[in-house]
Amino acid sequence: MVFEIARKEFLDLLRDGRLRWCGAIIAALLLAATLVGWRSWREVSAERAAAQTEANRHFDEQEEKNPHAAAHYGLYVFKQKPSLSFLDPGVDPYTGVSIHLEAHRRNEAKDRPVRDSTAIQRFGELTAAVVLQVLLPLLVVFLVFPVIAAEREQGTLRLLMSLGVSPRSIVLGKLIGVTAALGLIVVPAAALGMLVLLAGGFHSERAWPHAPILGVAYSLYLGMFVVVSMAVSARCKSSRHALIILMALWIMNTTIAPRFATDLSRRLLPTPSSLEFQSSIGTELKAGIDGHHVGDERLERLKSELLAKHRVDTVEELPINFEGVALQASEDFGNEVHDRHRGRLEKTLGRQDTLRKALGILFPTLAIRELSMALAGTDNDHARDFADAAESHRRKLVRELNRDLEVNGAGLGFMYQAGPDLWRSMPRFRHRPQELPEILTRQTLGWVSLVTWFAAGIVLLNGATHSMRVD
Amino acid sequence: MLLYTILKYELRLLAADRTLAVVVLLLSLSVGYGVSNGFAWTEFQRRTLATAAREEAGRFQELKSRLAAPGSRGVPADQFGSTLGTRFAGLPPGPLAALVIGQSDILPYVTSITTTDHPSLVNDVEIENPTHLLTGRFDLGFVVVTLYPLVILALSYNSLSADKESGTLAQLLSQPVTLRTLLLGKVAARGLVVIGIAVAISVGGVLLTAGVPSGEKLVRLLLWLALVAIYGAFWFTLATLVNALGWSSATNALTLAGSWLLLVAVVPAIANVVVRSTHPMPSRVELTLALRTASDRAHATGPRLSSRFLEAHPELVKGAAEADEFAVQSLAVQEATEQGITEILEDFERQLSRQQSLVDRFRFVSPSIATLEGLQDVAGVGSARYRLYLSQVASFHDHRRDYFRPRILRKEPIEANDLDDLPAFAFEEESLGSVAGRVGTALIGLTLPTLVLAVMSRSVLRRYRIAGY
Repeated sequence: MVFEIARKEFLDLLRDGRLRWCGAIIAALLLAATLVGWRSWREVSAERAAAQTEANRHFDEQEEKNPHAAAHYGLYVFKQKPSLSFLDPGVDPYTGVSIHLEAHRRNEAKDRPVRDSTAIQRFGELTAAVVLQVLLPLLVVFLVFPVIAAEREQGTLRLLMSLGVSPRSIVLGKLIGVTAALGLIVVPAAALGMLVLLAGGFHSERAWPHAPILGVAYSLYLGMFVVVSMAVSARCKSSRHALIILMALWIMNTTIAPRFATDLSRRLLPTPSSLEFQSSIGTELKAGIDGHHVGDERLERLKSELLAKHRVDTVEELPINFEGVALQASEDFGNEVHDRHRGRLEKTLGRQDTLRKALGILFPTLAIRELSMALAGTDNDHARDFADAAESHRRKLVRELNRDLEVNGAGLGFMYQAGPDLWRSMPRFRHRPQELPEILTRQTLGWVSLVTWFAAGIVLLNGATHSMRVD
Repeated sequence: MLLYTILKYELRLLAADRTLAVVVLLLSLSVGYGVSNGFAWTEFQRRTLATAAREEAGRFQELKSRLAAPGSRGVPADQFGSTLGTRFAGLPPGPLAALVIGQSDILPYVTSITTTDHPSLVNDVEIENPTHLLTGRFDLGFVVVTLYPLVILALSYNSLSADKESGTLAQLLSQPVTLRTLLLGKVAARGLVVIGIAVAISVGGVLLTAGVPSGEKLVRLLLWLALVAIYGAFWFTLATLVNALGWSSATNALTLAGSWLLLVAVVPAIANVVVRSTHPMPSRVELTLALRTASDRAHATGPRLSSRFLEAHPELVKGAAEADEFAVQSLAVQEATEQGITEILEDFERQLSRQQSLVDRFRFVSPSIATLEGLQDVAGVGSARYRLYLSQVASFHDHRRDYFRPRILRKEPIEANDLDDLPAFAFEEESLGSVAGRVGTALIGLTLPTLVLAVMSRSVLRRYRIAGY
């Protein structure tokens, strides 16, 4: 019986304009979004990789100069595109892609792609992730809202039950039928995604465990919409009523909740203006060692300590270059100031993220959004990781250059010069994206939300099945 | 007269219905939240601009007393122009900015101007959680463009079909009333209520955040109201057309929800893809590297550049044969570096304006694009105003550089009495005429499809079946 109901439902949907029209539009959009995403991934990742090579060359090919001058010249590092970003570019267009690493200061990531865009960018981008998070659930609502409510309206539900068909088999059969119809769109889409991933020139080994997990997350999300919609349809008197309730749920989730969350977290957890942030760092730095001005109190103390340690009277007699020591001392001081301010800011931003993830418990679309971006490597955490990796590379680079000045430049002051051999011996910037377990633990709330909603949907559907009314 | 009677009864029915109360409550809550968010944002921007102005004034004051002290020999002009005398060029929030946040959370609204860095390369972006930028804000613009159509559709998706389904339609039409008058009365009643509320709420929002409008603000407010009213009329007409087709309430709801999604989200997203792929932007990554290459090259050929620079700018060295060699060289390097990237910078501007004109054409495809752009223009957060700001910043930068360059070459220090006549930046608001022109086009872009839909519903209504489908 279950199988027959499923078959009937499936055939009904196939003949229905809703599935044909909406399904065709959504499938076309999904295809277009995937291809556009893949093309831009290919262009951007080739460009970024080439840019890093060129930036390294710029650094390596510097002429002979003082190592500290080389530290001022610095190195540009570029954020590389993660493989799955072709499905979900996430916050990538809204975060800087290049960072200038130089002595004394921590620069912000710059060149946000969104800087050069028109106002329609803010309607949202056409990405595979948007189709999966926003459009497919709407298709689910459109297909599922009448499955039981309409039978009730037309009196066929009474007829069916009078034939001795149990509510359980009706619900189960319809569930299978609807799922099979949706499968007609989802399965080819997943296959297409896999095909692009395998043949698209990605480092697929980095995407391997992530892609199936992403598939699981989306299945849970869409499955949740199917069972919740079925439950609503089973409870509502008329199909119109069911549609209104489901539309309201969908709008709350996909349209209102994200923006609501944005402003709520901005209001509850405000961040300082960039100007305030920079000027409070500047004020503190001014109060400390800057390494270029002799006569600073702390610098004097450092000097006399060194002179005493090596038992000499002047810096020229030291077996090391004092400028190197002074510069590194200033660097250490600056890092400490930056860390303090940056730490405070990151804490606020992190809390904003947590608030949003917590709201994901109420609105599953928020949850899948975070999960999807995290698995695609395009969420806030990944952008922050890149900035942190760049900063630690900056510190390493500057420290090694100062160290060379200190060790090899004894007695020469700022007259000491090093050459390309030194530049080439500097460590290379390599940024390893987060490991999977870390991504998953950061997204615990998202999983909790999806699983809870899915389970709640099943419980609701079960309840509605047991107390099914024929009118 | 008959229309008036229908209108009256429909209004009574609406008032008795719970749907209207719920819908109005939700709309008011959204509007309240939206306006307060917009207001908080403009206040934040104002505070930041005030901080910048205070910092600048303090720095100049301190400098002035230092320079006025006996024995002061002034500050070298190059040092002053590049660091000590940095000016902030601020873009104050637009006249009705509290109503729309628009792009103002992405685009920098204060730029620090030095003689060394070209303003289009300065990276003065505001601190913001990237996910917030991705999502966008909950402002009145969002409520109008996205939620307001939903309210309209929720109230009017079944204006005929409900009567048909309950059997009252046949009864009603047995009276001496035409279907057209009946439908018109129903739509007009809902239109009066919803558009009336939207207009009242907008006026309230302006009164709360910007005080009693007068002069230019009043004109902007009127343009805003026109946009809101015609955008509302568009959605009402669409709902009327769908009702005139005579389907069931559920089918109407489905069709209208689908059209809403298509016009508000899908078409703009496709437009975005089309715009970006027909006029692709040059890459900022490439610009960053090109800047570095140009600067390396200029530094390497420094001494030769200096003499060429002096030949090219005889006006700068007038009466200053003993021009500082180091200063000449650094100016020459700076100029050569900028020349190395002018082409890319121009490419950016060219592509962006091409994209913008394509977007402007898309206004006629999606009423949501037309409305969003129109609302942004009226509020003073639109892209045209922003481009105006950028061009004013660029010319301020050039003007300032023209002031400092001869002084740098002549080794003339900046002294206490110079501080007062140094150029300062003040944004000149765009003219009301150009705003009204752009919004006028948007209004045409909204009116045309509304009229087409109205004509279509009229002819479709003739074939309406009072019973059955």
